[in-house]
Amino acid sequence: MSTPEAAATAAPPMTTTNQQSVQKILVTLFRREFWEHRSLWIAPLIVATLMALTAIPLHIGNLDLDSDSQRYFTPENRLGWFTLLIWAQTVPQYLVMSIVASFYFMDCLYTERKDRSILFWKSLPVSDSMTVISKLLVGLVILPLGVYLLAMVTGVLFQAIWSIRVAAGSLPDIAVGWNTVAWLKVQGLMLYALIICMLWFAPLAAALVLISTWVRKNVFLWTTLPPVIAIIVERVAFGTHYVKGLLEYRTWGIWDALGVNPTPPEEGLHHGRVVSLADLFDNVEMGKAFLNVDLWLGLAVAAALVFAAVRIRRYRDDT
Amino acid sequence: MTAVIEARGLTKSYGATRAVDAVSFAIQPGRIVGLIGPNGAGKTSLFKAILGLTQFDGDLRVLGRDPRSERNELMQDVCFIADVAVLPRWLRVSQALDFVAGVHPRFDRSRATDFLRKTDIKMSSRVRELSKGMVTQLHLALILAIDARLLVLDEPTLGLDLLFRRQFYDTLLNDYFDKERTIVLTTHQVEEIENLLTDVIFIHRGHVVLDTAVDTMAERFIQLTVTSENAARARQLGPFYEREVFGRVAMFFDGKSADELAPLGELRTPSVADLFVAKMQGVA
Repeated sequence: MSTPEAAATAAPPMTTTNQQSVQKILVTLFRREFWEHRSLWIAPLIVATLMALTAIPLHIGNLDLDSDSQRYFTPENRLGWFTLLIWAQTVPQYLVMSIVASFYFMDCLYTERKDRSILFWKSLPVSDSMTVISKLLVGLVILPLGVYLLAMVTGVLFQAIWSIRVAAGSLPDIAVGWNTVAWLKVQGLMLYALIICMLWFAPLAAALVLISTWVRKNVFLWTTLPPVIAIIVERVAFGTHYVKGLLEYRTWGIWDALGVNPTPPEEGLHHGRVVSLADLFDNVEMGKAFLNVDLWLGLAVAAALVFAAVRIRRYRDDT
Repeated sequence: MTAVIEARGLTKSYGATRAVDAVSFAIQPGRIVGLIGPNGAGKTSLFKAILGLTQFDGDLRVLGRDPRSERNELMQDVCFIADVAVLPRWLRVSQALDFVAGVHPRFDRSRATDFLRKTDIKMSSRVRELSKGMVTQLHLALILAIDARLLVLDEPTLGLDLLFRRQFYDTLLNDYFDKERTIVLTTHQVEEIENLLTDVIFIHRGHVVLDTAVDTMAERFIQLTVTSENAARARQLGPFYEREVFGRVAMFFDGKSADELAPLGELRTPSVADLFVAKMQGVA
């Protein structure tokens, strides 16, 4: 920091160049998002707690009497059930996370104009690109990684409660108690899937961020109505459904991109075989996902959308 | 000395309306400049142009930089308070300090906490729990702790009661201002800040109608109060504005010598507020 005396003797340049490190600014911007959007951490925590605790009241009745279900609970399937239980309790967590993230993206550059705080944020030396990118990273990377870690913890808790109840005789002994290698493989598989998801959904996230900085009101309507209208108009006018196809592809096409080979039907649940997710980890073609052209095309589109959002925020104010 | 702000032919249009119309002026370092004009005069447009918040035409340099293309660098040395209501309601006082400390290289946290300690503001409070006056105090605490070269305030005390307004400007003058710093403030409440200002720039309908240092104002402007008998004679000397006060007429002259006017009535230097009214009515 320069003293007034030092500044007085110093010749131009009229502005100083000592910069806060980019890293420090980013971390501050990340913290800011979790202060403002408390649903980013409250909602995942609530769902995680609920998921860990579901093993307590869980009731699976009369397995012995149901001859049809009997064939799934064979000794060969015990590892499959173990991995499936770990996986199943993460599903609601990621589902809630996607909803939280979507609303966060829609909101993140919209409320600052609605409550006029944009004039405060813009009074500080933080560039628009830094601001927009920090928001995208919070929803697309930090939140999912946080939920991943939470899901890991709740999986262990769930498994612990399950085992205690098996020992107490109130749940059927259908899964192995614990298998570290299988557990690690499941975590590895889910981390891999998560990373591919982040990349795959980047353009959708960037589109929401762009809308958030663009529209002046009714951000939710502006997000949901145009695609619906586009689909209807296209169908009525041309009888085609390219928009619908594209949206579906960018939403569900992830399963093709992942390169997780689904179990052949003859080996699937219908035939009494519960596939271990650990086996899936062994067979997944990770390279295939990273070589997916649509994945990289999507990232290019995401970059363009972020660039547009930055440009728009540059001259956005409270009006 | 290089001007802190230099505008040449600065124009801001909204469609066909020109909120700021080919305005030129220069603000020197170490001054406290009042940008004064009625509502809708173009103050806020000018303010947004200076802070790089809006596009404009013409030439504008702030601390030697173009606010359009070099805003990020500029904001290291410029602080502004847009008005009292822009701190987000969810923000806690401690978070406000954390945030500014995290992003601003020249924020002195202890200075801000020292200032806040003198107020009733609690670190754990959220902005939504504070009164309007307290929010301004908080904002001021953040700004005072930043070692900036230029502070721009746009109606910073709008809607505050007298006590807070007085306190705000006292703090600004005593704890912040020094000869290395420049303060530009826009307001339409002239009376309250006229003792504070070193310079005034009057703007009206997008034009600068007066740009002068306060201490040279006395050399240029004279307010002559005459009885109605002398009014006609005084009028021949070309006042730019006159108004009637209790049966006598107050006339405002620009660049007339005191010797010439003295025989006609009472002379005095008009206050900034009187001059403002005179100038605004004069050009209307």
